[in-house]
Amino acid sequence: MKTGMKWGAPVLGLVAAVALALPAQADKHNTLPDTMAKPGGFPERPLTMIVPYGPGGGSGQVARGMIEGVKDATGIDITPDYKPGGSGMVGLKTYMAAPADGYTVLEHIDDATSGFAIGKSKIHPGNDLIPLVISQITFSQVYIRADETRFNDWGSYIAFVKGQDGKSTIANVAGEGSMERINMNRIANHYGVKVQQISFDKGGPRYAALKGGQVDALFEQPGDVRGFLESGDFKPILTLLKERPGAFPDTPSMTEVGLNFTPLMRFRGFYVHKDTPPDRVKYLQWAFQKGFFTDSYQAFNKKKFMDLIPSFRDTEGARVLINETMEIYRQTYKEMGLIK
Amino acid sequence: MELFLEGAATLFSSPLSIFIFFCGLVGGLLFGAIPGVSMLTLAAIFLPFSGYLSAPDAIMFYSVLYCSGTYGGAVTAILFNIPGAPENAPTAFDGYPMTQKGLGGKAIGAAVLCSAFGGTCSVIFMMLATPLLADVAVTHFGPPEIFSLVFFGIAVASSVGAKTLWKGWLSVLLGLLLATVGLDPVAGEERYTFDLYYLLAGLHFVPVILGFFAVAEVLVQAERRAAGSYDMPKFATSFPTLAEFIKLKWAVARSVVLGFFSGILPGIGATLAAFLSYNEAVRWSKTPEKFGKGELEGVVASETANNAATGAAMIPLLALGLPGGALTAMMVGVFQMHDIEPGPLVFINSSDLVWVVFAAMFFANIAILVLGFVETKGVLHLLRIPFQYLAPGILLMATIGAYATRSQVVDIAVMFAAGILAYFMRRTGYSVPGIVLGLILGKIGEQTFAQGMQMVSYDFTAFVSRPIVAILLIAGVSTILTSVYRALRGRRRDIDI
Repeated sequence: MKTGMKWGAPVLGLVAAVALALPAQADKHNTLPDTMAKPGGFPERPLTMIVPYGPGGGSGQVARGMIEGVKDATGIDITPDYKPGGSGMVGLKTYMAAPADGYTVLEHIDDATSGFAIGKSKIHPGNDLIPLVISQITFSQVYIRADETRFNDWGSYIAFVKGQDGKSTIANVAGEGSMERINMNRIANHYGVKVQQISFDKGGPRYAALKGGQVDALFEQPGDVRGFLESGDFKPILTLLKERPGAFPDTPSMTEVGLNFTPLMRFRGFYVHKDTPPDRVKYLQWAFQKGFFTDSYQAFNKKKFMDLIPSFRDTEGARVLINETMEIYRQTYKEMGLIK
Repeated sequence: MELFLEGAATLFSSPLSIFIFFCGLVGGLLFGAIPGVSMLTLAAIFLPFSGYLSAPDAIMFYSVLYCSGTYGGAVTAILFNIPGAPENAPTAFDGYPMTQKGLGGKAIGAAVLCSAFGGTCSVIFMMLATPLLADVAVTHFGPPEIFSLVFFGIAVASSVGAKTLWKGWLSVLLGLLLATVGLDPVAGEERYTFDLYYLLAGLHFVPVILGFFAVAEVLVQAERRAAGSYDMPKFATSFPTLAEFIKLKWAVARSVVLGFFSGILPGIGATLAAFLSYNEAVRWSKTPEKFGKGELEGVVASETANNAATGAAMIPLLALGLPGGALTAMMVGVFQMHDIEPGPLVFINSSDLVWVVFAAMFFANIAILVLGFVETKGVLHLLRIPFQYLAPGILLMATIGAYATRSQVVDIAVMFAAGILAYFMRRTGYSVPGIVLGLILGKIGEQTFAQGMQMVSYDFTAFVSRPIVAILLIAGVSTILTSVYRALRGRRRDIDI
């Protein structure tokens, strides 16, 4: 793998701009009509939602949160169908084999974007699919044990990592080229250090690794470790955002520690096939965007720290987010030598 | 004791709670008994509805389902050689041969009693020392230790079910090879996927197990019937005697400890518990050659351990918020749907809820004892069904089970391919249990080995210098060397499948 990545600030700045331009967009869609005529009686039966991950993880949870939101807003029933495996590729490809009639929708995360960028998937989530809504966008943090004695903040942690000569460990969930790994590689490159990134695909063993002292740190999103934060077991030492979010006033932002790249975000959303009849697409866009603004879904997002940065994207906003993120992944993969 | 009684009082405080308790109990027994359609299927179906229940009722449902579902799969494993879930696979090794000998009632009776006993012991341990045990487990057992445990399990398993030691090892190695299909656990590189996207997720062990056991069994019995040598399983409801259990007291105690110990480790759970316990039963037995031919101790070891793992799996979940398997991961979702985060604070903020879980699991294990015996009397009559009617039913159930696992048609093809492979393996003296063990443990073993080596910066000396790792690796290597020595000296007695 090549080191010393060089970043095009203008391109990255675009992503930051998109991330920051959301409140106005959210307000606009909050005024969606309360009702909408069913196009040709669609849907006449419950929908199926393919979820390409297990029911216990973040995708399973957001799928159920949105299913409840859509039900509250429109009365439409949706049945989740979990198809885990292959970093979301099994569910994605299974979805593409389903009829494009609007009765089957897809939940997916930024893995669909990175998968296309690296060539694992031939399905472009912004072109081959129509995003109905992006309903969760979240940032990452670096965590340590609250009772850690070798370091207690970002500065002492980096000093520790330097002293370990490449033997320091951090747990995350991801293979080569994933959002977590790229963000962490950029941090390591900035400081000129090497960190052993250890991938745990299930949350339990991943958090146990930090809790039990098997690894030095954890790279994760705050909503997934809320229990450990509230119990005082884990402590964030870096937030991968330009500014400190209100919920973490004591944790330095990346700007404060001198990291000047734009971080890749985790985002989750809902899609239909591009060949779905346009009137049905329009109806589903309305239904899912209404679902986002229901009290139940908003409460769910708040519980997951998804209200700290604006999470809402409509179809147009989602495509911008996907395309800009795709460009960053492509640049990164080229610099890493993973694609030409 | 006061807290336990309070939990029990909450549990039985309303007709709705009692109803939900029995729904979980009966649901687990039924879904556990249908191959492929396991307790996880019911748990996933029920997940959206659990938000409408109170937090104690919702959590209690899943706790009870976990206990009864783990037992439920033993029934079909024993009667038809179809494990309801992977953790019941070792139960079939001896349970089904017992059925063929007319001892099906005895095998199911033992499974009922041992499931209830193992589960109850586990719940009692859980009530006594949850926070302490959870801390010990995550502090002392990281990926290197779990890999060493898997290595030890595989080393012991090489002696189970094959004609010769070499065929046993070839079977295990084939299982390990099959475990590599899919994405590698480090870089996510594709292996043996042949550009077929449904192989990206690897071979799921449920359709493979259904093929190895159910489909292969139908093929074997059909061949016997065609050759005129088919014997219908004998119907008998003779239950095990107290004397038989007293004779197996050490096997039961060992299985409780192994099951509890395996269940407490995040990400391990009941399947490894059952295999390890079965393997240890073989290793400690004075008559290992009887295993695989209908030895009661095989059923006892497997069923005691897998249920002992259920209570133990709740320890990291409740004390640390760390789910050990698919069902406990869903329970995290149920907690969160009720605005509760499992973890240390749950003992402070929601201690009443924790004790409802403890009480529910305690009474669920007691209820398994009663309902299990009642159920046994009924299900044994299935053996009266003639083979020509039973075989299509078995294949239909297995097909549904294979598909229901991941809703993938390819899993049905995998099941039949595995069945045909197992048919020929059995004819040639290779070990079906060995290949299943290799497949299941191979995935855990490879992942934890890769994680462990990364943790020590690929310094193998540092890897093996960890005390628990060293002990388990030495024990595993010693086991392999001993069995090789015995095989070379011709002292190892061959075991038939």
